[in-house]
Amino acid sequence: MFATVIGALNEGFLQTLKLFAVTLIGAIPLGLVVSFGSMSHFTPLRWLTKTVVWIIRGTPLMLQLIIIFYIPGYLLESGSPWPSGESGRFLASAVAFIINYACYFSEIYRGGIQGVPVGQQEAGEVLGMTRSQIFFKVTLLQMIKRIVPPMSNEIITLVKDTSIARIISLQEVIWAGYAFLKSSHGYKGLLWPLFFTGVYYLIFNGALTLLFGWVEKKLSYFR
Amino acid sequence: MSILEVKHIEKHFGATQVLNDISFTLEEGQAISIIGSSGSGKTTLLRCLNFLEKPDGGSISVRGETLFDAADPKTQLENEIRKKRLHFGLVFQNFNLFPQYTALQNVTLARELLSKERGGETKEEIEAAGRELLAQMGLADRAGHYPHQLSGGQQQRVAIARALALHPDILCFDEPTSALDPELTGEVLRVIRNLAEQKTTMIIVTHEMAFARDVADQVIFMDGGVIVEQGDPHQVIDHPREERTRQFLSHYAEN
Repeated sequence: MFATVIGALNEGFLQTLKLFAVTLIGAIPLGLVVSFGSMSHFTPLRWLTKTVVWIIRGTPLMLQLIIIFYIPGYLLESGSPWPSGESGRFLASAVAFIINYACYFSEIYRGGIQGVPVGQQEAGEVLGMTRSQIFFKVTLLQMIKRIVPPMSNEIITLVKDTSIARIISLQEVIWAGYAFLKSSHGYKGLLWPLFFTGVYYLIFNGALTLLFGWVEKKLSYFR
Repeated sequence: MSILEVKHIEKHFGATQVLNDISFTLEEGQAISIIGSSGSGKTTLLRCLNFLEKPDGGSISVRGETLFDAADPKTQLENEIRKKRLHFGLVFQNFNLFPQYTALQNVTLARELLSKERGGETKEEIEAAGRELLAQMGLADRAGHYPHQLSGGQQQRVAIARALALHPDILCFDEPTSALDPELTGEVLRVIRNLAEQKTTMIIVTHEMAFARDVADQVIFMDGGVIVEQGDPHQVIDHPREERTRQFLSHYAEN
């Protein structure tokens, strides 16, 4: 029994990890684009970006997920644009998570960028550097150092938030654990697999905590 | 011909006029000290020369070439400003060293980026030149230190080496010792004195009156965005003609 349950939970956690990784890969760069939008000197763009960030951060991720997965099917005559089955649920989840997390990341980036003293930018300018040289050679690393603690917080939250995708029946680890309570692999009414999913989160987040601690230490050579 | 000609510079921040009809010239190999109380426009003037602020009126010429003319939009093209500002170097009050680079890397970074663009020097040549500059600043043994491992005086000397690395025509100092403890001020002033002896063309904004008088060939006293008095250092500081200059200098005499 134990091996069967662990096998099913592993499969579920693989889906959790996939959603986690795809969200990071999409949201980390998209967040930078959004943060540039929210700092733009072009007022309409700045207001548009800030409004989008307000809506995304101001409403539950669960609601956004439901809207992105179900609403297009009602509106489009051709039916739901998402592929059927698990792949469609994954795609919809990835889109919702990337947009949601990009907005959160953008605010962290903005704080990081604006936290770098303006004198750094000016020192680069008077040394004849281009804007992109100043960003990549001077500002970026200082910004990364500043955002590591809030980003690690947000990324650990993301690990746990992936379970929200269960609302559209994405077969992540909690879904897999809950299945044994109802009926799965010939078992019924098993409570412990659901509780056991917590171990997966604890171990993975423990590893992430160590990783971020290591990154912070790596960046502690300057102030 | 003067190396620098500044004519009728005007600058407003909103309704406040911070620079009003500023004109002066600077000869190659000479130094100008600019003195005056906080808010008199000294720093804004240096920032205009370094293209960190855009004047609303007037012109700036180096070696006869008009770098900026408020009346001529052709002199204000964004993509040429980068090249033009290399005529000037600027040493900031707060050093503004790049914290993630060592002293040597701070000195060589901009020159490496420039020579990547234009070709010319190898990385080794630039590094050797950087080490020599640091040695000249008395920091030969600090090349591998990060800014936070250095004292304020050492950081400011690295910043001076960083500005010198690009061989500016005119080196500007914006209150280079104002962020330093009194005991660290001397080492920075000594370095600037050495530069003056080597005939480095400089503009020095400072609150150190004795230093301003001794190091410069010309002193400018600014107040309320205008040049009140300008001329020979001993005359302006020891025998000022204007009542406003006397008032300002009397605060220093009391200390």
